Amino acid sequence: MAKDIYEDFLRLTGFEEDEMSEYLPRWRKASEKLGLTEDDVKFAVEKQLPTYFAIELEGIRKLLGCFVKETIDLTKANEYKERGVKIVYGILPAILHFYYALKLTAPNRVFVSFPDIFLATATNAFFHKLNPFLEEAERTGIPYGCRHCALNKTRYAARRLGIIPSPDISWIWGFICDEAPKTDEFIRIYHDPEWKTYITRLPHDQPLGTVEDEVIDRVEYLANQMRDGFESVQKEIGIKVSEEKIREVIDIWQRYATKLSELSFLMAVDPQPLGAVSGRLFWEPLALPFNTGIEPMEKALDITIRELKQRVNNREGILPKGAPKLMAFGVSVNLPWIAKMFEENGVGIPFSEGFTLAKKQLKPPTFEDPYMAAAENWLRMSIAVNPGYQAEQICEKLMTYKADGMVFGLMDFDRWLGSSHRLLARIVEEKTKLPVFYIEGDIWEDRDYSQEALRTRIESICEIVKMRKA
Amino acid sequence: MDTFEELAQIARTRPEKLKEQKKKGVKIVGYIGRFVPEELIYASGALPYLLCRGGQPEPPDAVIPYMLRFMSPYSRSQIGYHLLGIDPVVPMLDLIVVQCSDCHESRLADLFEYFKLPTVRLGVPPDWKKSLSRNYYYKGLTQLKEKLEVLTGNKISDEKLKESIEAINKIRALLRKVNLLRRQQPPHLGGYDFIRLNHYSFYCDPEMLTGKLKNLYEGLQKGKSPFSRGAPRILLAGHVVGVGDYVVPKLIEDSGGIVAAEFLDEGMRHCAWNVKMSGDLMRNLGETYYLGRTPPSIFQPGWEERVEIMKKLIKDFNIDGVIWYELSFEEIYDLECSIISKAMAEMNIPLLKLESSYEYSREAVGPLTTRAESFIESIKQRRS
Repeated sequence: MAKDIYEDFLRLTGFEEDEMSEYLPRWRKASEKLGLTEDDVKFAVEKQLPTYFAIELEGIRKLLGCFVKETIDLTKANEYKERGVKIVYGILPAILHFYYALKLTAPNRVFVSFPDIFLATATNAFFHKLNPFLEEAERTGIPYGCRHCALNKTRYAARRLGIIPSPDISWIWGFICDEAPKTDEFIRIYHDPEWKTYITRLPHDQPLGTVEDEVIDRVEYLANQMRDGFESVQKEIGIKVSEEKIREVIDIWQRYATKLSELSFLMAVDPQPLGAVSGRLFWEPLALPFNTGIEPMEKALDITIRELKQRVNNREGILPKGAPKLMAFGVSVNLPWIAKMFEENGVGIPFSEGFTLAKKQLKPPTFEDPYMAAAENWLRMSIAVNPGYQAEQICEKLMTYKADGMVFGLMDFDRWLGSSHRLLARIVEEKTKLPVFYIEGDIWEDRDYSQEALRTRIESICEIVKMRKA
Repeated sequence: MDTFEELAQIARTRPEKLKEQKKKGVKIVGYIGRFVPEELIYASGALPYLLCRGGQPEPPDAVIPYMLRFMSPYSRSQIGYHLLGIDPVVPMLDLIVVQCSDCHESRLADLFEYFKLPTVRLGVPPDWKKSLSRNYYYKGLTQLKEKLEVLTGNKISDEKLKESIEAINKIRALLRKVNLLRRQQPPHLGGYDFIRLNHYSFYCDPEMLTGKLKNLYEGLQKGKSPFSRGAPRILLAGHVVGVGDYVVPKLIEDSGGIVAAEFLDEGMRHCAWNVKMSGDLMRNLGETYYLGRTPPSIFQPGWEERVEIMKKLIKDFNIDGVIWYELSFEEIYDLECSIISKAMAEMNIPLLKLESSYEYSREAVGPLTTRAESFIESIKQRRS
């Protein structure tokens, strides 16, 4: 009997034998819709997944399975829409409580997704095949030369290609960059008049060093923006969410975040027990809502924590004991070869600054009101605040996780998150005296910054860090 | 010396004049962006200075050690000259007010603060259709007023504010009249001159400027047009033509076209309106600056309204073609260009996109000239 590569793929991504009959046809259909060929799936099975993901661990296989199920689900969004399910999109970064609260309230009447980041991750991390989306966008109105964000191109291209339907409402979180919200306006005017949007914005007008979550006016303004946004979404789709549901989500989030924090501390153990990319993947449900829910991820996380504790007990690591460890601004899941290249050069890169929590983030909110709590939570995130406060948080994380240095960059498409890195690098280096590096590049796609283009830079960084630690 | 040259001379020597004033104890307030009302600065007894330079590649490059290189060369220029040590004004400023309506401006404010320059930010929420956002801006203006009062030690009374609003309204009214003369074919004033006139207007004493503008207006009515009757009329659109960034408008007019109208978010006085002088003056300033003018590209929703305004300009100024002047890595304008291109195609109005990183070497200007010349030639052929 001929080998079924699709079946192998599902097996490799943690599907049980009794799930095959249900998921195999769905996965074939989803692959086809995404433009993934049999060769692409074969590439994932034989090269990409074994090379970059710790598939020897059950927890990681289950985690990958969650992504596959979500991929299948996303490719059914058009069917959902036809059946009258309300489609709600959003963009990264956002507070996800509201999206999960919608799902908790009306699980079968609403579909939630941040389709761009999910598609970008699913297609590139596992199949290295994001380029067709980017090229489609570049051919049809979002030019290549201006270094636009791959996520915005993906969102637009996914709609153009009919992979996703028009949303009933796309709640655009413009609290960070400008391009993401404006891309939605672009999609509506340029391509799809049905692409309905609600926009929320927050000016970046706080002086350097302001502890923004303690500026009550700011928290209130943001809370009001969130309240307005969420009320508009509910009104548009006719689903009313109670504040209790939001609080319920906050509890789930806190529980998951606490487990992630445990994962971060396990990643910090010497020797490092798990590769950076596998560890980083668990953070996705805190960055984008999964329509299939956070619970399956949590189960995978529980298994992984158990497996890692075992590795720690056995003193097993992916690097030798004593290997230097760096914190990256963002470990790229889309381009897993970046973290792997560090690891192959004897340097661990187990933490992402944006995906580790400062002590303050683990504290309960000051406010009872769920919107005030969400706003405060937002302004406790380092990526959401001014570079002075951000640098303070980065320094704290570097100390907490005993990192040997920091790598900024790989965000050159982002006029907010990426534009401060050179400045941050200076501030953090001055404060910590640790070596701090900057790599010009892109965490979503590697057309301009290929493995060969970045190899020399990464190898040099690794050499410097090893020499400093020796 | 004609009036235009006099104004140019005054603008050129503004830094020395400011230095003299500073010695006398007058506070000098630099500001960035169209949402910072100069009326408030004048009313506080301080002197405003618009930071709006552009057109040279070295200043934006000087910022690269501190900032992503894929940022607007215009924003980077506002601190780049200072980092190169060739900005005569920034070091003497008592306050720099930076509007924060987009990432480029906010990151610029970060750098001003990092380099310990006295900076205050004015938040401008781009979701402008919401009362929440409007009130945010109004509140920001009130806070700015208080900061100016503390800086200068002068209370900004309604009387003083009214005086400064009146003075700036007069300037707007005169520029509006001058601008309307450009509807004639051929016009007596092209865009290269009109843009510079706008720039000069930011660096002259309002009372004196009013007199000069009156003279200029009268002179233009009597004078002869320097353009040929058949020259194609071009609308120059985009983000900004900075002070000193005159290569493109000049090149268009040297190539046989006329820049007959502009659609630029920054660097120009948006003079189609005046600030009301009765009632709550702070509110009037807020409403006019935030709501009354053409929404900038960053505002959302904004692009459809902007297309309609462009269409009206095209009709009112009898425009033959649009040149979209885009500064490198200005991502929002780049997206908007696609929207505008589509709208222009539907109207059968030709559009040319010219992109610049302020690299105007001979090698760079050559191809730019060829493109502008071909565009203007093609418009002529379309008409014949």
